Amino acid sequence: MSFDVSKAMEWAYKDMLTFFPENVSTFGSELDQLFAMIYYASVAIFFITYGILIAFIIMYRHQEGRRAYHYHGNNLVEFTWTLLPTFLFAGIGLWSDDAWTKSKSAYRVPNPDVTIDVLGYQSGFGWQFRYPGPDGVFGKKERNQISSANPFGIDSNDVHGKDDLVIISPGGARPVEAHLPINKNVLVNLSSNDVLHSFFLPNFRVKQDAVPGQWIKVWFNGTKAGRYEIACAELCGSGHYNMRGLLIMDSQQDYDAWLDQQYKLKKPETAPAADSTAALAVAPDSTTTKKN
Amino acid sequence: MQTAIAHAHDAHGNAAHGDHAHHHDVSFIRKYVFSTDHKVIAKQFMLASLLFLFVGGFFALLIRWQLAYPGEAIPLIGNILPDTWVSDGAVTANFYTQLLSLHGTVMIFYVIIPLAVGMFGNFCIPLMIGTDDMALPKLNMFSFWLVPPAGLILLSGFFFDSGAAAAGWTGYPPLGPSSGAGQTTWLISLFMIGFSSIMGATNYLATIVNKRAKGLQFFQMPLTVWALMITAILIILGTPVLAAAISMQLTDQYLHTSFFMPDNLLVGARDNSVLTGAFIQKGNELLEHKQLLGGGGQPILWQHLFWFYSHPAVYIMILPGMGIVSDVLATFARKPLYGYKAMIFAIMAIAFLGFVVWGHHMFQSGMNPLLGTTFMLSTIVIAVPSAIKIFNWLGTIWRGDIRFTAANLNALAFIATFIIGGLSGVFMASAPVDIYIHDTYFIVAHIHYVLFGGALFAIFAGIYYWFPKMYGKMLNESLGRKHFYWSFVFFNLTFYPMHILGVGGHMRRIYNPYIYEFLQQFQPMNQFITFAAIILGFSQLILIFNIFWSLKYGKAAPRNPWQANTLEWAAPAHPGHGNFDTDIQVYRGPYEFSVPSRTADFYPQWEEPQGQPEEVVAKDSHLRQHA
Repeated sequence: MSFDVSKAMEWAYKDMLTFFPENVSTFGSELDQLFAMIYYASVAIFFITYGILIAFIIMYRHQEGRRAYHYHGNNLVEFTWTLLPTFLFAGIGLWSDDAWTKSKSAYRVPNPDVTIDVLGYQSGFGWQFRYPGPDGVFGKKERNQISSANPFGIDSNDVHGKDDLVIISPGGARPVEAHLPINKNVLVNLSSNDVLHSFFLPNFRVKQDAVPGQWIKVWFNGTKAGRYEIACAELCGSGHYNMRGLLIMDSQQDYDAWLDQQYKLKKPETAPAADSTAALAVAPDSTTTKKN
Repeated sequence: MQTAIAHAHDAHGNAAHGDHAHHHDVSFIRKYVFSTDHKVIAKQFMLASLLFLFVGGFFALLIRWQLAYPGEAIPLIGNILPDTWVSDGAVTANFYTQLLSLHGTVMIFYVIIPLAVGMFGNFCIPLMIGTDDMALPKLNMFSFWLVPPAGLILLSGFFFDSGAAAAGWTGYPPLGPSSGAGQTTWLISLFMIGFSSIMGATNYLATIVNKRAKGLQFFQMPLTVWALMITAILIILGTPVLAAAISMQLTDQYLHTSFFMPDNLLVGARDNSVLTGAFIQKGNELLEHKQLLGGGGQPILWQHLFWFYSHPAVYIMILPGMGIVSDVLATFARKPLYGYKAMIFAIMAIAFLGFVVWGHHMFQSGMNPLLGTTFMLSTIVIAVPSAIKIFNWLGTIWRGDIRFTAANLNALAFIATFIIGGLSGVFMASAPVDIYIHDTYFIVAHIHYVLFGGALFAIFAGIYYWFPKMYGKMLNESLGRKHFYWSFVFFNLTFYPMHILGVGGHMRRIYNPYIYEFLQQFQPMNQFITFAAIILGFSQLILIFNIFWSLKYGKAAPRNPWQANTLEWAAPAHPGHGNFDTDIQVYRGPYEFSVPSRTADFYPQWEEPQGQPEEVVAKDSHLRQHA
């Protein structure tokens, strides 16, 4: 039971805006600027109204012999202080709209360079990722085929599905690690098979609920390589807090290398017929397999 | 009780209240338990809700301890709580989820709404419009007596093996319907409390429309009555939608409908390993009813229905407070309320807009983003009438003669915290800004600034203000001020830093935030908040002590202790059943303070004008002042 006083009091002496985690997406800076704009407007309104409130409390405190001013108000004044905030607030709303449609609206999603599927899940609490494989095409989804071995319900009859790559948690308490390239438009098709989740990438200013029965498009463009956390922001059960995942943003080169490695790891499962190549494909991880 | 009948015509009338040695024409049970007297019902609402305030507060402190010291035993009580709730003295993840669900539910449905609407609606409306009781006193009695069983049903969930409701106070499907018996108690209890609300609201409207005192016009009613009337309209329009949604979730849970349950859940349920216990059961149940498998429900539909009620519910909780604050401020500034009609129109505007903004809770829900634009604009516009109210309150204290009673301090605190709560609301009203702060502690900070800082401080103001009329005793002012200062300071220390947590990305409803690297830096701040919250919680004991101390030792209250103008102060100091001992005739509006022509600085609504007609008097006085 320790208590770090200076960290605990940071709210009192540090500027609120410094607490944002580093932004690493293209539209994230726009959202941060909007936040900052509203923040500065709020601080100004706060000081004006609090200044008036405190001044009035002091100036017009009860004093012997003072008599309050009998006054019911003035329509011109009412009119003014109705119109001023209307313009201010409507302005904030209209100004916000561009950033909103840019980050969320389907018609403004840019042409994706990379498309992946993401599922939130409740049994064990985490995220699953699907990449389209070397053919660049996802296998069709067939809801009847959803199972724990095939959470995305990839249609076993669809040839495009054979090479799809599914990334899951390596097990234990270890979070899933997904990789994506920087400076590319990434389109995420988001859903869930059980309850609501919310795909939250704090550093990318991305948040979108995952809704069972619905595939929702989310996009972002990461600007900086690194290792970022994925969180769940919608209550999904007692393990809600435990849905941590990792998103590794790589250069295109590193990303391609990672994908290659993953495909090689995967091959033996999907193509059992070609067993000789499959055995070789496992090689990077285990020298014993190589000898065989 | 034969003697009671024999003494039925004892000359007790209004004044005999409290004289227990005598028999009355009503039995003890009918007088204090199943009473139809609006004042007794108001006190019942107050006591029940203050009890629930401590229940909800206790849940909050358990939550806070876990956030400050996850996994460490709760001091003092950690080791005496049952094993299903704690392990090694620290709350389990499952129990934590139940706590956060029930904290929200209890505070909103069993504390703020019953206090703001049930208590003040019942107490203030008949007295402030100068009538003897509600239009429908029996309905009124039923509306209270649904609350205790509803509350017990809600809390009974804690004693089930599967625990209490654990889907948040919003009960979103599919998590809600899939989480067992606790959720059923939650649904039933909300249905009952909603029913209670509707009965109360119908009654308030019928009373205000039909039973106003002679001469009392609508635009002479005090703001408290106006606010409660508009609140009643909100309740009548909104609550049935909640009742419908609850019924749908109940049938999803038990009758295998799928209003909110999409069909791929059923498919998923074929493979039990994908799903958790509740779902396996659910899935198997549904598979036995194959004819229903085709129905693909929509989880977002619940959110639309729920927020169509629950957003107006925010105004159900805050509007009565705005009314109370207006009355308290005017009385203690000894000034007419600034812009009386503008204040009423602002309440109407808030109430109307309150019904077209619910989608702002759903910006990230998967709802069509085009709707996001619409809801963003309507939400931002609602800041305008809120701003009008702030300006008019400031106008009210301008050039006043402000008395800092406990009631007025709480009313001023309402303004101060409502400014912050209103401003933080603008952030989340902007849909793109909401993307990041949605479901973080920024939202938690905002709702507590509005509902604790706003509604609860207004409720405190109302309790300090009307307690003399409720019990015939003055509350102790110095204890009242102490309660205020401790509450106000520690309220801000508890909830202001939560804005910072939200900006840092700290999610809500997180059992252990520190498994995330980006949140680890916030543990000291969470500890700070927890200590502040503990002190805030214990500060409320001052109020309870004050109530019981003043009931026993308090000064007897005069008829009009605050020298106010509204009609409740025309009633005897401790009015009995029937309220008034004189015929009430209303001559003027409720805020005629410091009229220049009079020596007294107040001019009650019921006081007969002397001599000349009022306008002439006013004009004369104006001339005299200049002479």
